[in-house]
Amino acid sequence: MTEIAAGSKSEYAHPEMLVETGWVAEHLDDPQVRVVESDEDLLLYDQGHVPGAVMIDWVGDLNDRVRRDYLGREGFERLCAAKGISNDTTVVFYGDKNNWWACYALWVFQLFGHASVKIMNGGRKKWTDEGRPLSKETPRLSLAHYHAPERADYKIRAYRDQVLEHVNAKRPLVDVRSPAEYTGELLHMEAYPQEGALRGGHIPGARNIPWGKAVRDDGTFKPEAELRALYETANGLRPDQNVIAYCRIGERSSHTWFVLTYLLGYPNVRNYDGSWTEWGNLVGVPIEKP
Amino acid sequence: MPDRQEFIDFILDHYENPRHHGALDNPDVVMRGGNPGCGDIVTMYLKLGADERVEEVAFEGQGCTISQAAASIVTEKVLGKTLAEVTTLNHELVVEEMGREVVEHRIRCATLALNTVKAAGRKYHSGQATKSAAEAPVEDF
Repeated sequence: MTEIAAGSKSEYAHPEMLVETGWVAEHLDDPQVRVVESDEDLLLYDQGHVPGAVMIDWVGDLNDRVRRDYLGREGFERLCAAKGISNDTTVVFYGDKNNWWACYALWVFQLFGHASVKIMNGGRKKWTDEGRPLSKETPRLSLAHYHAPERADYKIRAYRDQVLEHVNAKRPLVDVRSPAEYTGELLHMEAYPQEGALRGGHIPGARNIPWGKAVRDDGTFKPEAELRALYETANGLRPDQNVIAYCRIGERSSHTWFVLTYLLGYPNVRNYDGSWTEWGNLVGVPIEKP
Repeated sequence: MPDRQEFIDFILDHYENPRHHGALDNPDVVMRGGNPGCGDIVTMYLKLGADERVEEVAFEGQGCTISQAAASIVTEKVLGKTLAEVTTLNHELVVEEMGREVVEHRIRCATLALNTVKAAGRKYHSGQATKSAAEAPVEDF
């Protein structure tokens, strides 16, 4: 049974998309569940992970090795098979950085329509902060059978031309970067090297709602009412709108995509993974910079 | 040749027990380098002898395991070398030592410290060396 976070989780539009650390601890030996760690820091997994978890790396496993794109159908089938994931496996993602890459990996799995995916609320930090066990053993897995459809980008992924149409139609965009990146003062997060785009600023019409406002200090998602206050009351979004979220390379915005889609129940949200590293380098596209 | 786990153990040893970690008093040159992909930052401090030989080296930094372990490894590589010798050090040296199969998807993290220390040498030769970390801008590598 899914653990309910005190006074909050039951209010989410799709509470089944989120599991607590306690739920994961109770399902470590469940053959229907595969726990997947996805991190920015590649070697965190090797320093200890949720027992039985496998690792999926956003660079090595999810990205195409040559083009800036994701793996195709056959690559996804091979990946899942190698990680012991079948079509009917429930995949629970967690990771560092407040689950940025976990949400990103879940988003890629949704490009292939995997039936059952979840995020472990609070990610790696909460698991370790609670003193739960870590293992350095890589699980020995039998090759699973996986049949994937062709990747379906149209529903949850936005391309640059679609973003431009979106801008021209004055539909809502959410820029989830830091305020200084949004204004163009910085091209990357504060204290990070400033690289990746030739121009600073934001896509015209975008509202700046930094991704981190959706989480509490312990890395767990804020309650539904606080999220609605943030996105709707303070920033005017509505669930019936067609929304595009972006950041710098698409990982922070996949976190916001998860929040809007599954915690608040917006049915029409896309992640623009090209994000500012594409838009800020494009010739001739409009940019707002105060 | 070490297997993957031995490479990882080597990297984690440098990460958990970093060599030459900290700041140097009165360095001859300080250089800060960054990797936008991961957000890694490394600050390298060098103190040079009369023949531009690295007599003392130290680093500070923050970021992923690979970038910080690589900085520790690089300090061992450059200590005792002249700046001219440091500039000839190849990325392959670090990548092979850390295990290509381990770091191949984080090459920029693995080579950040080496790029930073080589840039420190160029900065020193330019006569514009920064001697304080607080004054050194973060350069992209």
